[in-house]
Amino acid sequence: MANDWQPGFEPLPDFERLFNEHQSMVFSLALRMTGDRGLAEEIAQDVFLALDENLSKIESPEHARFWLRRVVISRSTDALRRRRARGFGQCVEIDENHGAQAEERSSPLGSRVVALLATLPEAHRAAIILRYQEDLTPEEIAATLGAPLATVKSHLQRGLKMLRTKAESQLKEYIRAV
Amino acid sequence: MPFESMDEFEFERELRQSLERQPAPLSLKRKVMDRRQQRRGQLQFRRSATQHRTRMIWLERIAASLVVAGVAGSAVVGHYAVEHRKGEEAKQQVFTALRITNHAFRVMNAQLQRQNKDSQ
Repeated sequence: MANDWQPGFEPLPDFERLFNEHQSMVFSLALRMTGDRGLAEEIAQDVFLALDENLSKIESPEHARFWLRRVVISRSTDALRRRRARGFGQCVEIDENHGAQAEERSSPLGSRVVALLATLPEAHRAAIILRYQEDLTPEEIAATLGAPLATVKSHLQRGLKMLRTKAESQLKEYIRAV
Repeated sequence: MPFESMDEFEFERELRQSLERQPAPLSLKRKVMDRRQQRRGQLQFRRSATQHRTRMIWLERIAASLVVAGVAGSAVVGHYAVEHRKGEEAKQQVFTALRITNHAFRVMNAQLQRQNKDSQ
């Protein structure tokens, strides 16, 4: 893709190709951030429409990927804030929807980890998702989120610690229930 | 494996596996493409409406400019006509004055000639 996307040869990147390439990434990021499939789908739609509007500003495939990650995280955070402002109980929603719909392919432990991830503060969650779903380095996460590197590292460490602590206590209840 | 007995590496591995990308719903592409098409239609309509509005604004400006130019031209022509008429009147007055003066000189000349004859 990089070869045939050179300035002067192809003035605008092909939207449909970008969509096909990145739809899974965009949807998954929104899903992990919000914990709600319906909301994630809406966010993914909005993000791709925003991409279509800004297509002329996209300079390379890497730029497109970076831009999409940045925008989807930002839009997901905005959507969560709006939902909180409307008075939705985020944790209840996540436990009911996301826990049940967490990926069918992963283990029960994995599903519970994903459900627990949605209970972390947004900044911690974003850092962990970008680290473990997108396999980004802390430097790349800092660039994507527009945050200082030290902050990102701290969010990663604290987020992991919180997740692990929650997972241990939840798992005891889970095993007792099973 | 229970989480307590997992080391950091295993926990991260479990997390990475759990966070594999999910396939997007099949309806997502259709919805995005539909909304994109709809938005393009709206943009096209808005663009042509804007073009029409811009064209009307320019036509209005041209018409207003023509009216202003016409009024200004009429004023200039009117002013020139008034000045011309005043000039003509002044010229006529000068001619009249010259005719009166000429007549007076002639009368005076005739009187002088008559006096000269009488004195001879």
